[in-house]
Amino acid sequence: MEFPTNFKYTKDHEWIDVQGKTGTVGVTAYAVEQLGDIVFVDLPEAGKSYKAGDSFGTIESTKTVSDLYMPLAGKVTAVNTALKSAPESLQGDTYKNGWLIKIELDNPSDVSGLLDAKAYESFIKE
Amino acid sequence: MADVTAGHRKTPLYSMHVQAGAKMVPFGGWLMPVSYSSVLGEHKAVRQACGIFDVSHMGEIRVTGKDAARFLQWLTINDVARLSAGAGQYSAILNTAGGMIDDLIIYKMGEDEFFICVNASNRQKDFEWIRDKSRDFQVTVTDESDQWAQIAVQGPHSLAAISSLLQADEAQSLKNLGYTHIMKSRLGGEGALIARTGYTGELGFEIYLPAVSAPKVWAALHELAGKHGVVPVGLGARDTLRLEACYLLYGNDMNESVSPLEAGISWATKIDKGEFVGRNALIAQKSSGVKRRMVAFTMTDDGIPRHGLPIVANGQRVGEVTSGSVLPTVGGSGGMALVDSSLADGGTISVEIRGHQKLAKIVRRPLYAARTK
Repeated sequence: MEFPTNFKYTKDHEWIDVQGKTGTVGVTAYAVEQLGDIVFVDLPEAGKSYKAGDSFGTIESTKTVSDLYMPLAGKVTAVNTALKSAPESLQGDTYKNGWLIKIELDNPSDVSGLLDAKAYESFIKE
Repeated sequence: MADVTAGHRKTPLYSMHVQAGAKMVPFGGWLMPVSYSSVLGEHKAVRQACGIFDVSHMGEIRVTGKDAARFLQWLTINDVARLSAGAGQYSAILNTAGGMIDDLIIYKMGEDEFFICVNASNRQKDFEWIRDKSRDFQVTVTDESDQWAQIAVQGPHSLAAISSLLQADEAQSLKNLGYTHIMKSRLGGEGALIARTGYTGELGFEIYLPAVSAPKVWAALHELAGKHGVVPVGLGARDTLRLEACYLLYGNDMNESVSPLEAGISWATKIDKGEFVGRNALIAQKSSGVKRRMVAFTMTDDGIPRHGLPIVANGQRVGEVTSGSVLPTVGGSGGMALVDSSLADGGTISVEIRGHQKLAKIVRRPLYAARTK
């Protein structure tokens, strides 16, 4: 299983790719594997602001609903609406076309508090 | 992390599931495969070809003795007198308030002998209820659950798949076996039983095997992957398949406070057959009007309905979702709900999903027309 080293991770299994003030957020390959077939993704509208740890949506597999949590505080600037009609595309492509939202970060420097790929990988092995 | 799997029982096929890479989950006191590769893929395989399911967790109770037929006629809701030897029927046992203790299938094996298949999670409760109620009858009630493994073989290719493992005489009998009937078989050795029934809405069979024969029969069926498209199927797809066919799941769709009239199985409730446990309560319910009804619905808006979510109509709470999911063959999502009787004839409702009212419509049951016959 792959975890890009240029991304940061949370213990709730989200990844974030920070470029300047913008962060792109998704769920990890591990989360996708645990969920199984993904059948529905509920995402917020652009313009909404969240604190770190807030639930910004849900991801559903055939059997379960899981909350999606903000890795960092920020305002939603873009939403991957393609996932609405094709949630299954998250499988196998979670780090590129499987992105969920883009956010404008309140404090880009907070990213240092998240896990790096190595720390995340050892977390999921616990 | 707490080991949620500790203390759960394993079927005789457990190690084969693990070896096949199945995701194992606790279910009804057992550790069962929820999926081997993909719930949606397994669902599709059953609709189009053939799936094999380990359902060894189900309970088996035998009732024998000269009063067996009379006893079961009094204990269960369906008409046992209609059964000839080798025939079975869907039925239920009720408490005196008319609530469902369990739903089950009763097979008549001989004049004074009946074989009952019950839900895994209710096995102990059912056995004690049946045994305690049998005191005034000349019958013997035996919990045989530990002796039996059970493999369900479901899908349009199921008959061909099983037949290829049978000797010619038995293959012929299987072909002629009527829906809900049961036959003895030498599949995997002596002492197997094959019933033509299932929980998917497809042509299918449930094979009862002495626990020791189960692994080799499972392996032989699994080897038919190339020839008949046989794939192992977990509880995940078992649930989406049965939901499309609108078969009830005990604990989700009904429990001891839901009557068979509310649950939508009036067709199996033979009130006119004579006295049976729970009948008076059902008669009272009928005369005052059944307040709730089981309906099927499909979502108009986005969102997946789940067990326990509120159903709203005209601003009023009118019931709740008992089972909900994506509907892989039907398309979209939907499920079953127990709602106020005024809605039983159809209409527009909303399902409250995480505080949002999502539109849905009540549709005719089943969501997927069964091809069992």
